[in-house]
Amino acid sequence: MNKTRNRRKAALTHYVILCFFLLLTGCLIGKPASTPAPEVLPEQPEISHFRIYDDFVVVKTAEEDTFSSLAAEYLNDPKKDWLIAEFNDIDTLKTGQDVIIPLKPFKKGGLQTKGYQTVPVLAYKSFSKDKPGLMSVTETAFEAQMKYLKENGFHVITIRQLLDFFDFNGQLPEKSVVITIDDGWYALYDIAFPILKKYGFPSTLFVYTDFIGGGKAMSWKQLKELSENGFDIQCKTRTHRNMKKLRKNESFKDYVASIEMELAYPKKLIKKRLDIECSCLAYPYGETNNLVIALLKKHGYRAAFTATGESNPFFADKFRIHRSEIYGHDDMKMFKKKLTVFKGMKLE
Amino acid sequence: MKKLFSIVLPFLILSFFTGCVHVEEFARKVKGQPEEPKADEAPEEKIIFDSRTYRQKAIEYEKQDELQLSLMHMNIAHKLSPDDDEISEKMAYLRNEIDQKADQHFNEGLKFIKKRKFKSARERFVMALKTDPDHKEALDYLKDRLSGKGYKEYRVRKNDTLRNISNKFYKDPGKDFLIAYLNDLESNAPLVPGTKLKIVTLGTEMTKPPFDMDKELTDAKTLLEKKAYSDVLRVAEKILEHDRLNQEAKDLKSAVYYQMGIKLSRQDKYVEAIKTFKKADPQYDGVEDATQKATDKELKKAERLLKEKQYKQAVAATQNILNHDPSRKAARDLINTTYCQMGKDFIIQKDYVQALDVLSRANPEHGCVKKALYDVKQISKKQAEVHYLRGVKHFLNEELADAIKEWEMTLALDPEYKKAKESIKKARDVLEKLKQVE
Repeated sequence: MNKTRNRRKAALTHYVILCFFLLLTGCLIGKPASTPAPEVLPEQPEISHFRIYDDFVVVKTAEEDTFSSLAAEYLNDPKKDWLIAEFNDIDTLKTGQDVIIPLKPFKKGGLQTKGYQTVPVLAYKSFSKDKPGLMSVTETAFEAQMKYLKENGFHVITIRQLLDFFDFNGQLPEKSVVITIDDGWYALYDIAFPILKKYGFPSTLFVYTDFIGGGKAMSWKQLKELSENGFDIQCKTRTHRNMKKLRKNESFKDYVASIEMELAYPKKLIKKRLDIECSCLAYPYGETNNLVIALLKKHGYRAAFTATGESNPFFADKFRIHRSEIYGHDDMKMFKKKLTVFKGMKLE
Repeated sequence: MKKLFSIVLPFLILSFFTGCVHVEEFARKVKGQPEEPKADEAPEEKIIFDSRTYRQKAIEYEKQDELQLSLMHMNIAHKLSPDDDEISEKMAYLRNEIDQKADQHFNEGLKFIKKRKFKSARERFVMALKTDPDHKEALDYLKDRLSGKGYKEYRVRKNDTLRNISNKFYKDPGKDFLIAYLNDLESNAPLVPGTKLKIVTLGTEMTKPPFDMDKELTDAKTLLEKKAYSDVLRVAEKILEHDRLNQEAKDLKSAVYYQMGIKLSRQDKYVEAIKTFKKADPQYDGVEDATQKATDKELKKAERLLKEKQYKQAVAATQNILNHDPSRKAARDLINTTYCQMGKDFIIQKDYVQALDVLSRANPEHGCVKKALYDVKQISKKQAEVHYLRGVKHFLNEELADAIKEWEMTLALDPEYKKAKESIKKARDVLEKLKQVE
């Protein structure tokens, strides 16, 4: 009886020792391997330390980090590098630096105490090798203008981004600009396209469909090629008629029917030939009226562009978006004047 | 004992493999304590990320009146130092400030709207949105209310039809199709009272009252009866702007020009009458006949002037007729006869140069002109010889200037007189040499 009791006692002792051993070793070695060492902060960490919150990420940068890599990792878009630079008010990254990556817009509509952001939309028409015309910009001048944008911190944005800005949803880089080209002249394909490609600038082409395939115009095949290379193809009516006014001796009914055709036909044709949903329109001669706008909305257009020569704040009318025409004889001084990106306010 | 073994042993083995963390976790859950941050939110980061920087930035932004940025940075500081009560208080203060200031800007904006100072109102709404980007009313004013929608809203009333609504807004019942189309309605479908319609605002060019052609024609005819000729022409032109082929309007214009021409004829202003008749449609009843009569009377006037030897007036009157009708034979005869008579008179006056000049303006094949020209040329040749010889005489007497005058007269009478040309050249050379000698 005593023997049995002693054996039980010894077994219990062994069991307690085993338990203690298991518990101790578990506590000592069982922590997750990924937990960083708590003792000393490395001066130049090899990996990024970060912490994610609902509306921002805070990162201690590693050596290989760049604005683009951080934007790619945390914002899923390397092109949003400017958001990180602007929020932290820095131009360069240092290793071991604390950086905030905003996950929500922090300056909606580009609003500031002293004023608000405006976005210039540049409107080109045609191009020439060396002889400028009223609406024809030479290859050298166009190259110089694009180079200026690149070297002076301008961000060429898409119309989609511009519309988000107008919806007061997104935030744009402080120096944003949109490039548009009208009509569909062959010179665009020959001269402007390679330059835009070289600088990686997105742009939108507004075509009037009766012109396409004509003498000095691009073919549908070339338009397709542009589209495949990132060009946004949109509408500029069928015949390029001035939609603001009735023609001489045109009845009101005929006028409405004509505008209907100008808006509906190119939309269908572009869809058929290029498989592109045309949602924006550039008004021929930049002219419009309330009726044209009502009909545009009826046909599912989202926005339309005039040629009023101003930049656009976030509260601009999406169916009267201002554009600044670039003329063949514009020098760099004139070009720079058309790049207004901020409107100051002095409150009354 | 065995039972105790079977419960405790697996738990201990588990803790061996996973570490005592989970044991602690379990214990916390049992006690109801909050969870600690997960692995990627390791507690050590409290040491890595310093909240002070963001707090300091928040204070700087607040000083610059950038309250949103201030709040954002204070929020970052708060997330990094969640236990700092001072930060929490500051955040609450900032939120309150944002609300108050945004509303203040917005209300000021409304006051400016009442004063119709839209630019200032817009700036206030921008400030309200800058202070609080979620201020929906400020956004609404900026995006829609201040810029104008381009259409008016109308709620359908009992007994409304699209035609009377169109008439009400556009002063044209015929634009009902547009209201129907833009509001997705069938043109003939009855309207349901209470339905909200969007009536697009049209420019003045498109809202002009429709042109009532019949009324305009009736008005023009009444004006013609009243002999208000300029008013008739104005209305007729207006009709033709709308319908350039309208024959009634064209006839009205012709009637005006016909009646005005008749009136001028009665005042013996035949040239003006002819000009006026020419503006009418030649096919218009009476125009051709009236033009003929006015022309005949102007011709008779010219014949009378010719008889009275008022040649210049006769030529002018005839020329007026020919300007309107160059093919008129009687007028061409009369003008040639007039020139012939003028030429003959100059011959009688022995002014052969003038005679030649006048006759050269007429048709050389015209009988009278042909004979007069022959006569004057014969006489001129003889006279040219006389003047030439006189010149020679002067030359021999060393009266060089007089000699040149005579020879020039010779050439005026007979431009082909070679000797006269040569003699003038010689005389001038001598005169030049004499000048040099002197």
